[in-house]
Amino acid sequence: MSDRITVEELSELMKKAAGITVSPAELEESYDRGFDTLGVDSLGLLGIVGELENRHGAPMPPDAERCKTPRQFLDLVNSALPAGA
Amino acid sequence: MSAPQERRAAVTGIGVVAPNGTSTETFWKSVQEGISVLDRITREGCDHLPLKVAGEVRAFEPADMVEERFLVQTDRFTHFAMTAADLALEEARLGRADTDAEPFSVGVVTAAGSGGGEFGQRELQQLWGKGSRFVGPYQSIAWFYAASTGQVSIRRGFKGPCSVVAADEAGGLDALAHAARAVERGTDVIVAGSTEAPLAPYSMVCQLGYDELSRETDPARAYRPFTDAACGFVPAEGGAMLVVEEIGSARRRGLPVRATIAGHGATFTGASRWAESREGLAQAIRGALDDADLAPEDVDVVFADALGVPEADRAEALAIADALGDRARRVPVTAPKTGIGRAYCAAPVLDTAAAVLAMEHGLIPPTPGVADICHDLDLVTGRARPAELRTALVLSRGLMGSNSALVLRHGAA
Repeated sequence: MSDRITVEELSELMKKAAGITVSPAELEESYDRGFDTLGVDSLGLLGIVGELENRHGAPMPPDAERCKTPRQFLDLVNSALPAGA
Repeated sequence: MSAPQERRAAVTGIGVVAPNGTSTETFWKSVQEGISVLDRITREGCDHLPLKVAGEVRAFEPADMVEERFLVQTDRFTHFAMTAADLALEEARLGRADTDAEPFSVGVVTAAGSGGGEFGQRELQQLWGKGSRFVGPYQSIAWFYAASTGQVSIRRGFKGPCSVVAADEAGGLDALAHAARAVERGTDVIVAGSTEAPLAPYSMVCQLGYDELSRETDPARAYRPFTDAACGFVPAEGGAMLVVEEIGSARRRGLPVRATIAGHGATFTGASRWAESREGLAQAIRGALDDADLAPEDVDVVFADALGVPEADRAEALAIADALGDRARRVPVTAPKTGIGRAYCAAPVLDTAAAVLAMEHGLIPPTPGVADICHDLDLVTGRARPAELRTALVLSRGLMGSNSALVLRHGAA
């Protein structure tokens, strides 16, 4: 599981860690909306980061849980994953 | 609360999630018929424990009542609280639009004794089974005593004064008194009460150290206070939330004042020192009556603490006699909790709900499963007793030594 983190995986984790149901298609449309307006609070985002770290066996950047939007978040966490590993 | 103030606290809504009913109507029906729902514990992972009988809330599906985003971050005790708060607010006809219009006029006060044990256990198992990286961040708030106050206020958008009372089982009454004081000080509405969920393996193990806990395995014999067969108390889950509202606010909204919170007294006499609780409980009763400007003769019914431990039952019967004098020999006493179990801090709040309903219906509910009283009390047993009820006295003692008394008056009297 060291592929890039997709919008599908983020959608799944938002449901699992924060109880927020947003389909991948809706999430793409909401790329630049704030996590708060989607209903994900700071602890919810922290839970998503923790889950990703466990799944991918790699630490996420320390600023990951401070990202405001899905776009910022995916750009940042994907930049931290080892390319093509 | 008897200070010469214009503002007085009324009860305008009741929300119940209890072992014998998940609506006010079913709760009252079961209470007034004296039905016992005590039963063998069926919760997963509890089979091997030496606690066999409890009052479980079985007719409750959290996902039907609470949004998923709140479910993932909260324990069962908070699921109960959010649901009971919704039911109480609905009875008081306070919808989202009403409270959004004046969010600073609505606050929340809860009491909690057991906290979020089920959620906490799950995350602690992650910690020791897999490692700290597998503990979810909501652990930081979900098992905390304050969780229900916080989540009810966040979920409903309330911005008024919020508090949590951590004062043992009697804290359930203290929370209602605190809510009444907040109303007297200027907040129009406080959603107040307590819910508990102590029937998960970790929480149950925590209770096994209580000498007062009943180990009886037969539900019909497990909780019989004030009798020779008393062998401790049976725990329960669930609870109630009340809408405590300023009388003028209720009147402006055209809402009936169901009861007023007229007086409160609280004392402390030490953990499991039941003989000493006699003096403490008597003093709490006197304090509550003074606070309400009422005399012992005014008390029409007593909802007893009814711990089910012989020494504690004796102390309670004597405390009632000490505080009420001649009235003690004639005043009807009841303990509906023998059919439900003691839901820790929520137990006296359920009693308060029952007391308001009893006054409304002119009917004293019986004490299920109890007969042959061995104390000098007029305990209502068998079937409900019709009576004109203007004033009810609700008593509660905690295992850690808190004693509280709350005086309620029917209507806006």
